[in-house]
Amino acid sequence: MPLTAQDLTESPRPRGKGRPRTVETAAPSLVELLNLVRTGAANTRQELERQSEFGRAVVADRLTMLGDLGLVDESELGTATGGRAPRLVRFAARRAAILVATLDQTAIGVGVADLSGTVLTEHHEAADLTAPPAELAERLTALFRWSMERHAPQGGIWGISLSVPGAVQGATEGDFLTTTPPVLPAWEGFPLVETLTRDFGVPVWMRSSVETMTMGELHAGAAIGTRSMLFLKVGRRIGAGIVCDGQLYRGAHGAAGLIGSLPVTSGGQSGPLDALAGSGMIQREGLSAAQDGRSPMLADIQRRGGEITAIEVSQAAQIGDPASVAILTEAGHLIGQVVATLANALNPELIVLSGSIVQTNDILLAALREAVYGASHPFVTRDLRIIRSQMGSSAGLVGAARVASEQLFAPSFLKEWVMQGSPLAHPAFAALQDRLSQTAPPPPPPRARTGQELPR
Amino acid sequence: MTISGLGPHGERAAPPERVSLLPDDRTAAKAAGWRVAVVLHTLESDWAKQQLAGMMGIFGDCGAAVIDVVDCAFSPDMQVAELDRLISQRPDAIISLPVANEQVAAAHRRVSEAGVKLVLLDNAPTGLLPGKDYTALVSSDNFGLGKIAAAGLSPRIPDRAKVGVLGFAADFFATNEREIAFTKWLQVNRPDITPRIHRFARIEDSAAAADDLLSANPDLAGLFVVWDTPALAAATRLAERGATMSMATVDLGEAAAIALATGNSFCCIAAQQPFLQGITAAQTVILCLLGRPVPAWIALPGIGVTRDNVVESFQTIWRQPAPREVLRVLGLSRGK
Repeated sequence: MPLTAQDLTESPRPRGKGRPRTVETAAPSLVELLNLVRTGAANTRQELERQSEFGRAVVADRLTMLGDLGLVDESELGTATGGRAPRLVRFAARRAAILVATLDQTAIGVGVADLSGTVLTEHHEAADLTAPPAELAERLTALFRWSMERHAPQGGIWGISLSVPGAVQGATEGDFLTTTPPVLPAWEGFPLVETLTRDFGVPVWMRSSVETMTMGELHAGAAIGTRSMLFLKVGRRIGAGIVCDGQLYRGAHGAAGLIGSLPVTSGGQSGPLDALAGSGMIQREGLSAAQDGRSPMLADIQRRGGEITAIEVSQAAQIGDPASVAILTEAGHLIGQVVATLANALNPELIVLSGSIVQTNDILLAALREAVYGASHPFVTRDLRIIRSQMGSSAGLVGAARVASEQLFAPSFLKEWVMQGSPLAHPAFAALQDRLSQTAPPPPPPRARTGQELPR
Repeated sequence: MTISGLGPHGERAAPPERVSLLPDDRTAAKAAGWRVAVVLHTLESDWAKQQLAGMMGIFGDCGAAVIDVVDCAFSPDMQVAELDRLISQRPDAIISLPVANEQVAAAHRRVSEAGVKLVLLDNAPTGLLPGKDYTALVSSDNFGLGKIAAAGLSPRIPDRAKVGVLGFAADFFATNEREIAFTKWLQVNRPDITPRIHRFARIEDSAAAADDLLSANPDLAGLFVVWDTPALAAATRLAERGATMSMATVDLGEAAAIALATGNSFCCIAAQQPFLQGITAAQTVILCLLGRPVPAWIALPGIGVTRDNVVESFQTIWRQPAPREVLRVLGLSRGK
């Protein structure tokens, strides 16, 4: 049973005059010990004493408190190395859960993660991010509620973490969001963060999909254990995630890796990489190839009433349509030229490509490899691996979960709630909830039955 | 037919044609003489029997010996034990339908770690990745199946009525997708309808779950059950209670086809194509053993079946004549 703040602050025993209360002194040691356990740096009392340099009595007292708060578990025995087997100290990752979501241009994904950032369940479905934001928020809420009902975490939800298609202004290291940052023009003025905070009563974090996917690859994908890595997301926009010394490099404002803005030249045309190699170009060129007869395969899709998107062009390239192969090859070369510059500057050991265009064909990957190997110093490419992501959109969910997990247990944040046993008792979050309770929620989106047109 | 769902990691679906076998592939496979095992949730259902029939034909054509076909009886513990037993037999590949999520994830990971190619059916436990922990997932477009069922049931449901949803309690990709899609279709197209969700843990509990759902909501106007076997059990129990209502489900099993033809309760069945899925899964195994790249998620579209097209749909899906009872009820067979 978790302790309440009152339990911890009101001891029946008299205390010495001038001696600080445990509650006033325990938080820093609780934070340090909990994070040693949580990160796996120590998992026995002896290791905790050695690493924290706290005395045996302090460690024992704090572990009792953390156990009462439900944050650590000491029920398992470790392996004996002579004498009694030590009791293992484990982080209670299932004490509560984190709701995670990826909002992509054409899809939405939701999941439930534990407090260590491990995703326990996930679901992805097609979505249109240009739809009215109220509709999107309603769908997100419905999927979150379904996930919670399905995976009913015993300790409830402690946070929501969103992965969005664009750099998030104001999402600096540290606290949760109190207002909705501008991410997409279509969301302008819609209080997504406030709506989720009000509906679920938990703090909300938000990061760009490139950042979350990079973290996902680093912690659960191809880049586990990697010290230096470049992650590339190829979609309508092209972005890079940079890992240096095992850590995601975010830059001054979380805007590192916006390589889609870099100028490139293709066929005598100059423009930003996004415009000349992103999915918009692939779709446009595919449509053109279908109409002018260069691609009978894409023309056939159109004749049968199908829509041609970058995905159709990618799939056609994979099964050998020459016009589609040429489009994907050109995109791969252009992206590869920019990536080669980054690779020469950063000397990564691994480059991971992701995005639905990359997932559906091998052509773009091959062309990018060719460009990177051709334009890089031999030392840079000597042991360089360039691969396709195996995680798909799951990388965004895993990364979003890691963001929330790291923020919840960041020492400066944790010390404000650890004594109460729940981040929902954090004073800044309580203040946000007070403020939100005084404002009206946005109206629900309009509805229509099948065949009826919604007024736009 | 388009695929409306996304894969377990948000993948775009690849069509079954992507894993077609060429004559050279068959010749190379025959020369290799591979050994393959199949691990299914059950061998009792029509769906499972048709899957196996589809697989066996391809494996036979390719000279691959099927050394074991395991019935896990929906038990995660049994599946874990059977996978470990099969690993020790060193087959070249295993086709497995994971019966749960977290409970069976590690056992499936051990298959790949042992160097055995793993092709999954219908479900990918969370955390397992294609290309690393398994080769490919072959499934129906389960999201599409849920939408077909909702669109088929909707015209029978009056305004502002309640519709029951009997879901599967296990955390299972296929049934989760159907349930989510069914309720989403209603939310978007029939927001006047209130869904009431209840779940059963075992097929034997489905009739009792229908009882509970009806007791809690005596004014239910319709019911969706996430596959046919529990749907038939639920329909029988509801009929015993005198509560006939319009129903929709997934899978056109023989008994479900008869129930649809009689038209007493079932008005729409969203049918999978298990025979074709079995063929696709076996072809995927052959291609990956040949070292060819295969898509992470191969999906087969669902087919909307009503009383009007049940005969031809049954023939398409099962490659067999429709049950005599269906033909008799529809007046197509006039013998005894």
